[in-house]
Amino acid sequence: MEYSELLQPLPWTPPTILCLVILALPFVSFLLMATTPNGSRKPMSWIASGMILFAACLSLYLLLSTWASPANHTRFEWFTIAGMPKVTAGILLDINTALMLVVVNVISFLVHAYSTAYMKDDEGYKKYFAFLGLFTFSMLGIIMADNLLIIFIFWELVGLSSYLLISHWYQKDSASKAAKKAFIVNRVGDAGFLIGLAILWVQFNTLDIEALKVLMQQSMLAEGQWASSLGHVLNADWLTIAGIALFLGAMGKSAQFPLQIWLPDAMEGPTPVSALIHAATMVAAGVFLMARIFVLLDIHALTFIATIGAITAFMGAVAALTQHDIKKVLAYSTISQLGYMLMGIGVGAYDAALFHLFTHAFFKACLFLAAGSVIYALHEFEHDTGLKFDAQDMRNMGGLRKKLPFTFLAYGVSSLALIGIPFFSGFLSKDALLSGAYAWADVMSGGGFSFYYLVPGLGFLTVVLTALYMFRQLLLVFFGDFRVISKHSDHSLNEVKEVPFVMKSALIILGIMSLGLVWSINPLDHSHSWFLGALKAPAILTPGFDIDWQPRLIELMFSNHIEVTLISITMIIIGALTGWYLYRPGSPYAKSYFDRKDTINKFQALSYNNWYLNEAYKLIIEKPLLWISNGLTSFEKRVIDRAIDSLAIGNVILAHLIGWIDRMVVDGFVNFSVFFAGRIGVMTKSLQGGKIQSYILIAVFGIVLMIFWIIW
Amino acid sequence: MAIEHYFILSAILFCIGMTVIITKKNAIVVLMGVELILNAANINFIAVSQLDNIKLGGQFFALFVIVVAAAEAAVGLAIILKIYKYFSTTNLDEINQLKG
Repeated sequence: MEYSELLQPLPWTPPTILCLVILALPFVSFLLMATTPNGSRKPMSWIASGMILFAACLSLYLLLSTWASPANHTRFEWFTIAGMPKVTAGILLDINTALMLVVVNVISFLVHAYSTAYMKDDEGYKKYFAFLGLFTFSMLGIIMADNLLIIFIFWELVGLSSYLLISHWYQKDSASKAAKKAFIVNRVGDAGFLIGLAILWVQFNTLDIEALKVLMQQSMLAEGQWASSLGHVLNADWLTIAGIALFLGAMGKSAQFPLQIWLPDAMEGPTPVSALIHAATMVAAGVFLMARIFVLLDIHALTFIATIGAITAFMGAVAALTQHDIKKVLAYSTISQLGYMLMGIGVGAYDAALFHLFTHAFFKACLFLAAGSVIYALHEFEHDTGLKFDAQDMRNMGGLRKKLPFTFLAYGVSSLALIGIPFFSGFLSKDALLSGAYAWADVMSGGGFSFYYLVPGLGFLTVVLTALYMFRQLLLVFFGDFRVISKHSDHSLNEVKEVPFVMKSALIILGIMSLGLVWSINPLDHSHSWFLGALKAPAILTPGFDIDWQPRLIELMFSNHIEVTLISITMIIIGALTGWYLYRPGSPYAKSYFDRKDTINKFQALSYNNWYLNEAYKLIIEKPLLWISNGLTSFEKRVIDRAIDSLAIGNVILAHLIGWIDRMVVDGFVNFSVFFAGRIGVMTKSLQGGKIQSYILIAVFGIVLMIFWIIW
Repeated sequence: MAIEHYFILSAILFCIGMTVIITKKNAIVVLMGVELILNAANINFIAVSQLDNIKLGGQFFALFVIVVAAAEAAVGLAIILKIYKYFSTTNLDEINQLKG
């Protein structure tokens, strides 16, 4: 097929124009918040929230109106490069996009509304809302774009707004450091993304996703060579490398091993930002990107993705076990759940991965906002009573369910969803994911035992750990005694007040979305979910891909479903019981936990320090880098600077020499001519002494001379 | 008498006149030196006149020179008189300024 046919412009249709409106609304909100004076910040923030609400309503309408219809695609010519097919841009609205639009806009609206209360006394109120608008705009851009290049542009914009929001309290050293860390670690992933784009461009000369799908299907693999239908040939390895390179981008944004170190630090940002960006939407962008290019991945890239996903899920869950900070636990849990999603993509459970993305977006946003409520309430308490304590440290909390019933309810519901208890949303999506992983291991190992079983194995292990750390957190925060007042007995729990209504209402809406019934008529079986009914994994188009692979996966997924459900429920019970046993109010272990300063064994230290990844980076990257740059510094000082110095000294010496020549030779010559002229002057002057007789004598002498001259 | 003797006399007279002009301090004496030189020239004229008996150009010229010398002496003495009035001296060594 010719490029002109593949990349022909497609007209604007009402749904895609509506998409454009949805994209423009948050940007207008950003401009509005950025340009209006500080005095009107409160009403302006409500207008901004209203605009996002409007966008949310529009995207809900868009979802309902395009529910069963085929994808809407609008494309126009962007620019051309001589000798290349034209570069296009446009909007691709399929079911994924419509669903993601709803998720982003709804959560963004709830976070906007929640923030009007949470951030009400903050100095950077205006800046905060402006950047929220910028973030929402860039996130929507990633979702809508039909072209990997445009996705990459918005991808970077999302990284920028994440950086700006993490460093919201930039006066705090830790916050600005965390922002820099997030930005730099993301750059590593983005470099991979760019390499992936370069490979696709070299092979196919376009980055339009729909065109790439057609071209990928037409390309051929033979004798270790990967040939595109237009005759460009690359080594077959590049097909795998392209997939892995694009996944690297997702690894950065979605905090996958080994690039997950930035996410826990990103919790330095305000809590609603953590809910929106670092739990629900931006970190899911990597999963969304992988879903967009799912059909372009080959089996090796998929296996790589599944492995990394499973490792990350397990590592995140382990690290979440021993954190003291209420937000850190949730951050590690997010890493773990993102690992699940990418494992889902890797094992071919495309629909389950997206399903988990959506359910996770709601219940994790709910958890973060509820954690924000707890922190808010404790801050107010701290402010009212004048006590000094860390409002995010769970060792200071306890017993809050009596005074924060709404928050407790929302926290409880979303925790149960995260753990994966039946009747909650997480159960459905997580079961779908684990069934997919289990089926994948069966298909890949072809009946016998193989290392492929490690992937679902790590998945199941993570279920135990998830139940354990969430029960631990619930028990530490909401049950037992309020440990701050047990230290300062002159205050009582009654002084803790429930949060304002706006914050509560956001929690209620997100809490409802965490219930299983919202997502499926039969909350015990994910296969009845309306969501999974609408999403079907597209057939993988990569050349050389086994066409039986996907049907076999689906078949096995259905047959092992009951088995997987039973295993995971058993796992949950094990984890929950362990959690209850260790951290129940009054247990000796919990008591010792509150008092001890340090971790008690190596395993705890490993978990608390997130597998010593930061230290490993310090050792492997930072130290050699510092060593090299120190070496270069001293090389510069000793060699280059010295060379320049000696050059300068040589110059000075030369200058002195030239100065001497100037003085002695050139000036001497000039002085000599002056001296000579002076002498001549003196000599001739003496002839004209004003003595008339000497004139006559000279005249006579001259005449005599002339006479002699004539005679001779 | 051979013509050479006149020339020698004339040369001696010229030399004396020249010497007077160059060596004497007094301006009037210098003028006297000039008269001697003029007369040396006159002797030459008259001496060579014997070679030309018809026209007598030499003698004529000598008379002419005497007339001019008389005029010259009058003008020269007038100038010296003026100089003496201005500088109160006729010593040529002291009169060395052109500016009046």
